[in-house]
Amino acid sequence: MLRGGNMEHIQDYLDRLRMELKGCDPALLQDALFDAEDHLRTALESVREDNTDFDEAEAFRKIVERYGSPMETAQAYRDIEARLSPIWPSESRPRSPAGRFFGILGDPRAWGAFLYMFFAFLTGGVYGLWSLIGGAGSLLCSIFIFGIPVAGLFMFSIRGLALLEGRLVQALLGVRMPLRPVFIQSGIGWGMKIKLLFTESQSWKALIYTLLQLPLGFAYSLFIALALALSLSFIAAPLLELVFGLPLELFGTDAFTPVWLLPVVCLAGIFMLPLILHAARWIGKVHGRYAKAMLVRK
Amino acid sequence: MGYEIDANKKFQKELNSGTSALVLLSLLARAEKPMYGYQIAKQLEADSGRLPMMKQGALYPVLRSMENSGLLASRVDPSVSGPPRRYYHITAGGRETLESWTKIWNRTKSFVDAVLGGDHD
Repeated sequence: MLRGGNMEHIQDYLDRLRMELKGCDPALLQDALFDAEDHLRTALESVREDNTDFDEAEAFRKIVERYGSPMETAQAYRDIEARLSPIWPSESRPRSPAGRFFGILGDPRAWGAFLYMFFAFLTGGVYGLWSLIGGAGSLLCSIFIFGIPVAGLFMFSIRGLALLEGRLVQALLGVRMPLRPVFIQSGIGWGMKIKLLFTESQSWKALIYTLLQLPLGFAYSLFIALALALSLSFIAAPLLELVFGLPLELFGTDAFTPVWLLPVVCLAGIFMLPLILHAARWIGKVHGRYAKAMLVRK
Repeated sequence: MGYEIDANKKFQKELNSGTSALVLLSLLARAEKPMYGYQIAKQLEADSGRLPMMKQGALYPVLRSMENSGLLASRVDPSVSGPPRRYYHITAGGRETLESWTKIWNRTKSFVDAVLGGDHD
């Protein structure tokens, strides 16, 4: 039971801090819990090293006095979060349909999502292949005595990848993600640490996410590359066909576009560019929510 | 009495919100190697010779916001004794900002001192 200042252990403090930050962004909560646990543990260890004979409850009370009560700490995080500029500047939406359609060309969210999708085959490839190869290797090793630590290391690396992906998602998709890794308690044996890695749903969600990034990343990049190639080739069609005499290749046969149709093709290519960005922004928004649901501890 | 305490707390908080980033920049600019949160808090205590004006827990969100602004950079290193730790260091942009903020701070300090001390020369 946690009442008032009745906190004797780090877990009591963390529970109170979690209560104080109820309703806040889960990424902010994860950061605040990580910072508090890291600081309080380090401070306690430092006292323990300096004095072998000490009253732990009294030492903890003094440490909390310096660190700040859960309420003060929660307020500090809320204040800073409110002062932080949003990841993307707030948008001023043009009123005219044409302004809204072409305005996407100057929208950093759309370009961020475009870049995320363009390079998703690389990141998704690394995540997915590592998950597959590492996962298979860990399963194979599980028949040996050293299998468990190997599998533990693999799960640990997946949590690291999840943190890295979180940074990418925040930078390019504008979704607030944790800066700090999910804490794995210190002061417990390696066996318990490895057990926690396997029993926490966070590890499995991160593993599923990294695995799914392989097909998803490939699909994202393929979509962007094909759509961009189509749009640019349409825009350049008059130049390619009339100036350089290069035909359009359709299903293996060369064909020249009728001259009267070339301006229409060129215009279609120009319209496609904002369309691609609109699609990228929408996909980026959905992917950001999905990434947050999978990679941030609730 | 209660109002006075609240007003003092509010004033201190407003002062801290501006000065904490300057103090952290200065400390990390002098540091020979990257430092983690607890080290920074202890160093602040050692430098000021008493309890700092703000709670140690309030340093962490400031560090995070400074990292977001590009004034600091960090890396997570595994620790032998416990969980991984985040080590902060000042960036080149952070050093430039420290220089200009120090000038602003000195001007502000002179102005406030002059007004408080009634020095109108």
